[in-house]
Amino acid sequence: MGLKKPPTQTAATQDERRLPRDFKGLCQALEDDSPKARRWAARDLAAFPEASAALLARLGREPDHSVREVILTSLTRLGDATALAGLIDCLRSEDALLRNDAIEALQQLPEEVAPHMERLLADPDSDMRIFAVNVLQSLRHPQVEPWLIAVIEHDPHVNVCAAAVDLLGEVGTAAARAPLRALKKRFAEEPYIRFATDLALKRVGEG
Amino acid sequence: MSDIQISEDDFLKFREFFYRKTGILFEPSKRYFVDKRLAERIQASGSEGFRDYFTKVRFQVSGEELQALINAMTVNETYFMREAYQFDCLVEHLLEDIVEQRTDAGPIRLWSLPSSSGEEPYGIAIHLLERWARLDDWDVQIISSDIDTEILAQARTGLYSARAVHHLSPALLAKYFRRVGDRYQISETLREVVEFTQANLADPFQMRHYRDFDVIFCRNLLIYFDDLSRKQAAESLYDALRPGGFLCLGHSESMSRISSLFRIRKFPQAIVYQKPREAR
Repeated sequence: MGLKKPPTQTAATQDERRLPRDFKGLCQALEDDSPKARRWAARDLAAFPEASAALLARLGREPDHSVREVILTSLTRLGDATALAGLIDCLRSEDALLRNDAIEALQQLPEEVAPHMERLLADPDSDMRIFAVNVLQSLRHPQVEPWLIAVIEHDPHVNVCAAAVDLLGEVGTAAARAPLRALKKRFAEEPYIRFATDLALKRVGEG
Repeated sequence: MSDIQISEDDFLKFREFFYRKTGILFEPSKRYFVDKRLAERIQASGSEGFRDYFTKVRFQVSGEELQALINAMTVNETYFMREAYQFDCLVEHLLEDIVEQRTDAGPIRLWSLPSSSGEEPYGIAIHLLERWARLDDWDVQIISSDIDTEILAQARTGLYSARAVHHLSPALLAKYFRRVGDRYQISETLREVVEFTQANLADPFQMRHYRDFDVIFCRNLLIYFDDLSRKQAAESLYDALRPGGFLCLGHSESMSRISSLFRIRKFPQAIVYQKPREAR
């Protein structure tokens, strides 16, 4: 007993996977009884450009959180139109964990999400609009500020505007000053908006 | 560089952003350090000032400048027994937890990555020999990996400067090292028991072979990854652990910002992340 050097071949262990690692085999493995086998399959499918539909189909009925997380990571890695549409659909899910995971995934896809953002920010459901602002929180895209400004100029819902103001405090520039002041007037009776706009104005520089 | 000014509001704005990206929170006492590094990056990237630079960092699609900034803000120094409180946690809590749950007598497997020049895996070996009485009852394997083959060669040779060993007591130095000129070489016995392998954590295909670990030390590595690669790496580490196995990150890193796969365990010395025992 004590410190023992592992036999050379077992420092890294044997590949335990049973099914072939081609697309068909991996899709089959996505239906395996073992979550471990499904995680491995979901991870390896990220290397197949045509895998988004299969991953999304599994995501909809996957009961194991760890597998879902890997599926979402692979969908993000793939980042094609099918993956993107599926991730956006997840924002409408009643499952908060899935929604948050989808928001994080979309944040990683700035160029792909951008063409959809105006539509998301105009969704009839205010919760969807808040989720869209949440996506903007870590989205590396030059349109983030203009999108946020449009939200505080036009969105009728105080919670959507509040989410946008919080973010403008971080990413806003001089262009956000006048819209922030206008928002403060529009929601003059809302203490949080007053507080948040003052803070955001301070952060962007009163000018 | 002296004409680049970082205002208080700039600092707060940067601090909030950097915290969200990396989990690293700079206290006001670090202001000088942050300002200096920011000014260096502003100049190196050809930006006009903080605002111009911040826009670049935040919106650059490739994320290259953010990466350069993270590297500049996280200057790492490697030496023996760095963040040794986690090694205390290992011998006082983690290994006890693991052996209590064990139903077989197979070896306990520890993985240290990145190995860098070997200070961490050898330090773990020394800690186990000195502090874990049950080492006589169990076989323990230490595997250490790095992406860089040159640094792996250095780790296998195990030659260190006086600075790298300055946290070790004279007794430990005498027991586990031999003097080679003005340097110190780790004993042959320890060099023989630590297995070094080349591995890239960011490559899921390579990672599939790293399995059945009880404890993984992956400190101050994930902070260098972009968000998606970090998440993928966390998922690979999850699958590399046995159910109930532990993952130790650097003191400024937080898994809760990366993935929700792990369970947080708070021990007196450290917060570590556990793969649920019931995980399959």
